[in-house]
Amino acid sequence: MMKIEKDYSTLKSKISIIWTLTRKNISLYIKSGPVLIFGLMFPFFLALSWIIGRNIDSIQIFIGILAMTSFFTATAISPVILPIETRENSLERLTSSPVGLLEIIFGIMFASFIYSFFITSSIMIIFILLLNIQIVSISAFLFILVAIILMGFIGSLLGILVSANPTEKTSDVMVMMNLLKFPLLFISGIFIPFESLPLIVLIFSLFSPITFMVDILRFATNENNLFPLIIDI
Amino acid sequence: MNLEKKTAVSALNFTKKFGDLIAVDNISFSIKQGEIVGLLGPNGAGKTTTIRMITGVFPLNKNAKLKIFDKDIDPSNRSYKINFGIVPEISNAYRDFTVWQNIRFNAKIYGMNKKALQIRGIKLLKTFQLEDKSNKKTKTLSKGLKQRLNFCMALIHNPSILILDEPTAGLDPISVNILRNQIEGFKKEGKSIFLTTHNLSEAQRLCDRILIMNKGRIIADEHPDVLREKFKPQLKILVKFQSKLSQSQLDNFNRVFTFEKQIDDFFIFSSKDPLNDISRLHNFVKKENLQIGKLKFKEPTLEEAFIHIINEDEFK
Repeated sequence: MMKIEKDYSTLKSKISIIWTLTRKNISLYIKSGPVLIFGLMFPFFLALSWIIGRNIDSIQIFIGILAMTSFFTATAISPVILPIETRENSLERLTSSPVGLLEIIFGIMFASFIYSFFITSSIMIIFILLLNIQIVSISAFLFILVAIILMGFIGSLLGILVSANPTEKTSDVMVMMNLLKFPLLFISGIFIPFESLPLIVLIFSLFSPITFMVDILRFATNENNLFPLIIDI
Repeated sequence: MNLEKKTAVSALNFTKKFGDLIAVDNISFSIKQGEIVGLLGPNGAGKTTTIRMITGVFPLNKNAKLKIFDKDIDPSNRSYKINFGIVPEISNAYRDFTVWQNIRFNAKIYGMNKKALQIRGIKLLKTFQLEDKSNKKTKTLSKGLKQRLNFCMALIHNPSILILDEPTAGLDPISVNILRNQIEGFKKEGKSIFLTTHNLSEAQRLCDRILIMNKGRIIADEHPDVLREKFKPQLKILVKFQSKLSQSQLDNFNRVFTFEKQIDDFFIFSSKDPLNDISRLHNFVKKENLQIGKLKFKEPTLEEAFIHIINEDEFK
């Protein structure tokens, strides 16, 4: 029996491991309870309660639903993976194999991003067709896609950050996540337009990634955007 | 040709603290190629922490050194971990994956290609009698089957060092037998095995060497027979007389020997000097006009040796 040698420091090998982890995360966790509740059902019912009985402009609905979907789906998978894998000891198996911490984090991030990107893009296309939303130009459409991509990554990183505190309970992480998510949602110009926000809240809204996504969506739908695009991105 | 066996794992000066608690206290040990080394100790002795340090789950302390096949390991280069196959006590396979998906996932993590996975995976499924379970979800398997899957996952990349953390704990006798036979088979293949267990008969059957850990320190490092030999003074003598002892004979027997207990007419006592005690027993029988029906000797078990070593260490 001889010592086995293999180089895990090459980019090819790292990408292969990240992709394996990403596929595992997608196939194992998109159907998990917390992801379905906080990633799909919660934003769906929140949007429903916001729209029903109110005379809201279709563009506002489009912006609100797209921003909410993007944020909720991006923050759905990443917080549940680490607590579940800690509880089931599979995280220990990964750390005792030639998988590095960065690859584990990237695996979670990409899974979260892919989930968010596909759901948000599908919702976007459905709503553009249903509500007959006019996107001002092809470049504006591309900016929306960039915003969805960035939100996917930022949301997943937020989830990883919150779940970094070692715990075996998904509920602990979800409570923390919701403590962060809801204030961010309410100060980001979805329910209350930026113009109506008090100055102090407007200042706080600058710390929310949703603010900039909403601003890009406003630009793309020919509404008044608050910041130049370069700042939004 | 150099016939001397290589050292598969060499751990030097391992120390791990959790706050004020010293979980592992400056221990050093080695495992030779093709050797089965058992790590025994009471709960909280530091066995799992030691394993976690070897496998890189916990970082090494500054002055610690880890050598794999006589080569210094740089813990930042995790390639060395490919040498290990780790089987935990509790299954850590993904519950919602099938048996085959779990094996395939592990193979990919270790960078195996499809062809190698097919050949090795199917062979392992056969070896561990899981062929008909390959499409079953892991969560539907019994504990014994899950543990067999753990072995398949740990062995998929054909590692040269196996680390088994209580691999047969709580399993049914059929699974225990399959796994023990396999462990002996791996040894014949030349794999080095580091085994933690609470089952001392298992350790006695499988291990070439036993390390006993207590309070983070290694307090014994011997062959199982040598460990038992060290406690030869605790040899037990069992004697059964042909007729029932009268009260006065019983009192006299008690005066000569301090017998521990009486089971099924056998008087059992510990002997520090068996030859002398047999001679005293002969004199006693002659004097009391008795006849010995049966005389048995019971060597100390590894379990007794283990308890003795731990107790001795506790009162140091």
